[in-house]
Amino acid sequence: MAAAHHRAGPGSGRIAGRIANRWGAPAGLATIWLVLTLINPRFLSAVNLTNLVLQIVAVGAIAVGVVLVLLIGEIDLSVGAVSGLGAAVVAVASARYGLGPWLAILAGLAVGALAGAVHGLLVAHLRLPSLVVTLAGLLSWQGALLFVLGDTGTVNVTDPTLVAIAGSFVPPAAGWLLAVGVALLAVAVLVRHWRRGDRAPAALLPWAAAAVGAPAVMAVFNLDRGVPVVALLFLGLIVIFDVLVRRTRLGRHSIAIGSDATAARRAGIPVDRVRVTLFVLASMLAVTGGILGASRLLAVNQSSGSTDLMLGAIAAAVIGGTSLFGGRGSVWSALLGALVVGSVANGLDLLGVSSAARSLVTGLVLALAVALDTVSRRSADAAGPTLAPR
Amino acid sequence: MLATSALVLLACGGGPGAAGGERIAFLLPETKTARYETQDRPAFEARLAEICPSCEAIVHNAGHDAARQQSQAEAAITNGASVLVLDPVDAVSAGVIARHAAASDVPVVTYDRLLFDAPVAFHVTFDNERVGMIQAQALVAAVDDALEEGQLVVLNGATTDANAAEFRRGASLVFESRGVRIGAEVDVPDWSPDLAQESMERAIATLGRGSIVGVYSANDAMAGGAIAAMRSAGLAPLPPVTGQDAELAAIRRILTGEQHMTVYKSFRTQAQVAAEVAYALARDGAVPAGVATSEIDNGAGPVPTLRLTPVAVTRDTIATTVIADGMWTVDEVCRDLASACEQAGVSR
Repeated sequence: MAAAHHRAGPGSGRIAGRIANRWGAPAGLATIWLVLTLINPRFLSAVNLTNLVLQIVAVGAIAVGVVLVLLIGEIDLSVGAVSGLGAAVVAVASARYGLGPWLAILAGLAVGALAGAVHGLLVAHLRLPSLVVTLAGLLSWQGALLFVLGDTGTVNVTDPTLVAIAGSFVPPAAGWLLAVGVALLAVAVLVRHWRRGDRAPAALLPWAAAAVGAPAVMAVFNLDRGVPVVALLFLGLIVIFDVLVRRTRLGRHSIAIGSDATAARRAGIPVDRVRVTLFVLASMLAVTGGILGASRLLAVNQSSGSTDLMLGAIAAAVIGGTSLFGGRGSVWSALLGALVVGSVANGLDLLGVSSAARSLVTGLVLALAVALDTVSRRSADAAGPTLAPR
Repeated sequence: MLATSALVLLACGGGPGAAGGERIAFLLPETKTARYETQDRPAFEARLAEICPSCEAIVHNAGHDAARQQSQAEAAITNGASVLVLDPVDAVSAGVIARHAAASDVPVVTYDRLLFDAPVAFHVTFDNERVGMIQAQALVAAVDDALEEGQLVVLNGATTDANAAEFRRGASLVFESRGVRIGAEVDVPDWSPDLAQESMERAIATLGRGSIVGVYSANDAMAGGAIAAMRSAGLAPLPPVTGQDAELAAIRRILTGEQHMTVYKSFRTQAQVAAEVAYALARDGAVPAGVATSEIDNGAGPVPTLRLTPVAVTRDTIATTVIADGMWTVDEVCRDLASACEQAGVSR
């Protein structure tokens, strides 16, 4: 997975921290998959893996937004409620007011942007702690959700386009074409790196994984219904926001703010503007997740946007390796973390254990991830206090 | 990460077929109402084990989360369930589950709550309109003359549950024919006892304590909430309260006079019928002849339906209904309530 760590520097403690941070989540995921498969081999069947993907995209999209706010050292507890509210707006606009699907989606995203702007302005300009602002947001937006849903308490999603988002699959032939395309592209990049003399494993490994992984994943999906369209949408979101974080000024500013806000301000970074922007993006991503969820359930009801969704998304971001302390993390951690959280839920359902066990196991995994994060931060501090500003 | 999994998958040879007997999934909606875990589930498992010892029941409870129920249904189908017996959380969005099942050639039996616009092989439920009528008739008879001066508080079930609308219709028929005044009427989300309690507190605050002469609660769990609200508001004596499901707590409240009545539906019979029909569907691919008594059109075609008959339970009929049927034992019902039991004629 791409760049999980943004500051380079010497020191064995730092390297240990880096390893824990970058490989903790993949190793955890591999362990969970291995254990679940040993207990019930059906876990790795194509049908179940396809179901797993369909089950995690909503949480995953929301987790991308959580990663963004965590990067600047803030938190957003309202993402679940905002996702429910946005999805409700889309469903009501489409079903009750007859708006076209794209207009309805735009309306939902606009509501999300508005909610995010409110959070961001309160945090950036009034200097209120984001924990409190977004907790207030969580309560208010949940109320707004009930209000938008009205008396019936549930609104159906019937528009064919909205239904198709989570309900359609790429035909096998097109899927293979896509996979081969991705693999060739990855090989081309690999060759270019190699010729340039850039042969560090960290630079080559992600592309090698893509070259082998794309056709392999496609083979699995094509054993069942084909690649779900939402999987591609989700992957697209990840790539876009990964580029945003790593390659744009906004991304670099965010990481600077998350590492040390005061220093960032002195360096002339427009700290307040970046904060507002990221809260807006986080809420819009939450709405995106809400829409994906609604398209899967074909309805929005009072339990849409529950606190479970918020907890799952934040857990996913942190389990994936994004630091709770700001300045360190990767958008890919949303994918990894969502896979971990989703696999635990899916696997325990397959084993037929109760909801209690599911929460217990997810909690344990989360605690482990936070412990890893804290240890790796501490070792980073010990290794280079001048380079690590905290 | 995904690359390694593909290799493991190929090594495992993909989805294995079911070994031995059939697997039948029983998907329950929630845990707040006691009946699902204490009555339906054990009765279903016991009956299935009786008629097919090598069969396996896969039982899930969705905890009132429609998305979670969808995942549980997918897990059951992945696990090789050959029939889904589904009590949907949300009658509308459960259509997705039924269509997914149909795509995997797994027939769906709906349990208690029908789902719409998707294929359903069989539906087993109670005559719900009749339930509402029985509740309302009992309430009107208990309130009697006081109906002239006072008004009723009505607590209906969740709007996401199609049955709630039928209970309500049955009750309304009775209330309208008697010209009853209704001071407050609330559709309680999720059938939640907590929200029923809050609604009742609000009704007491707006209507005033003296004017409430009776409470129509669509089920026992909400009746519990309503009674708690009235007790903490100091209403004495409590006005008559209705219920449904014959929960143990409700039977005990009826003995102590806090609740007027409940409606007993033999969940045991319902769960047994569901297990039998599901097994027949798994074995023969068809519903046995003569089980269904009517048909309901759910938007995707006629669904063969069995409607079981509900029974009213008051203090005087506890012994002849829930005790006689073995739903509750005398020990369970009479713990610390020996004298009340004696008066009601409940004894070993």
